[in-house]
Amino acid sequence: MWLPVLGLLIGLFLGSLADINIPVEYSNYLSIAVLAALDTLFGGIRAHLQNIYDEKVFVSGFFFNIILAASLAFLGVHLGVDLYLAAVFAFGVRLFQNIAVIRRIFLAKWSTNKEKM
Amino acid sequence: MGQKRYLSMTVITLIIGFMVAVQYQNVKEPVVRDTRDTSQLREDLVKEKELYLSLIREIRSNEEKLEKYETERSQSKEQILKETLNELKVEAGLFEVEGPGIVINIEHVNEDLLLGKEVSPISTYLINKLVNELNQYGADHISIAGQRLINSSVVRNINGQTKVDGYSLDTLPIEVKIVVDNMKVAEKLYNRMQVSSAAEEFFIDNYRLRISEPKLSITIPAYQESIRIRHMDLAETGKGG
Repeated sequence: MWLPVLGLLIGLFLGSLADINIPVEYSNYLSIAVLAALDTLFGGIRAHLQNIYDEKVFVSGFFFNIILAASLAFLGVHLGVDLYLAAVFAFGVRLFQNIAVIRRIFLAKWSTNKEKM
Repeated sequence: MGQKRYLSMTVITLIIGFMVAVQYQNVKEPVVRDTRDTSQLREDLVKEKELYLSLIREIRSNEEKLEKYETERSQSKEQILKETLNELKVEAGLFEVEGPGIVINIEHVNEDLLLGKEVSPISTYLINKLVNELNQYGADHISIAGQRLINSSVVRNINGQTKVDGYSLDTLPIEVKIVVDNMKVAEKLYNRMQVSSAAEEFFIDNYRLRISEPKLSITIPAYQESIRIRHMDLAETGKGG
């Protein structure tokens, strides 16, 4: 259970040490990729809590979402339309929904625990 | 199964952490934000412009000074002395010289070679006579077989070899280059050399002078060795003269 959290911390540590400079024109892609990754991560947590977690869905969703979001942003840059906003919107909404579901599950668990006591 | 699930989750969270950290570093805003408003900006602009003007003024004054020094330098005694020295060096043969002139080739008469006559080394007398004649007709700078002739140059016979300042003249043809003042003098020199007595004397010794048409540009090399002056004293100063 703590392994993913440890991974996150190690990732943060490595990222801050790496000192990678991304050109301004590519920072859009990275931000949207981060958003997609976060969305997938919270989706995974929710699925895990609802006991419908499927590893294939999770891993494929992670990479597919990132690639899709980045290509949407790329297409938007070349068409002159801020298409990446669509991805931001979609992922934002899903992020909120997922977090809301996670919150309710925790609330339900908490209240059942309290009743048991 | 549970182990594997956590493993893939860990890898993905690791990637997410990495991406978030990189993004965070890139987005980080500058430490001090520029919060000046229009009037403050304008004031700063005025300050910078004043600085710019003062810098320009400084540059101008420095350039004026530089120019002043330059004119002082060019009119100074030192500069005149240097120029004189350069002129003297050109005259003395320490610099390469280029100008109008003619080229004379000293060749052997081939007909005699065919008859089997021995080739005798060119005599110093002939060379000296040629040089004297050239000088007489207005030659300014002379080189013989690539050797610059200067005032102290000597043509001597050493151990049966004719040498100019120590360089032997045993390979024929010998090229004699002459540079004069201008094209007119060059033509005059050419005409005089066509009928000069030196040519006849060379022919008696089985040599032939082949004189080229006057050319606009002939290069004569500099004297290669340093000029040593012996037996010379500094003139005493302060006694006129």
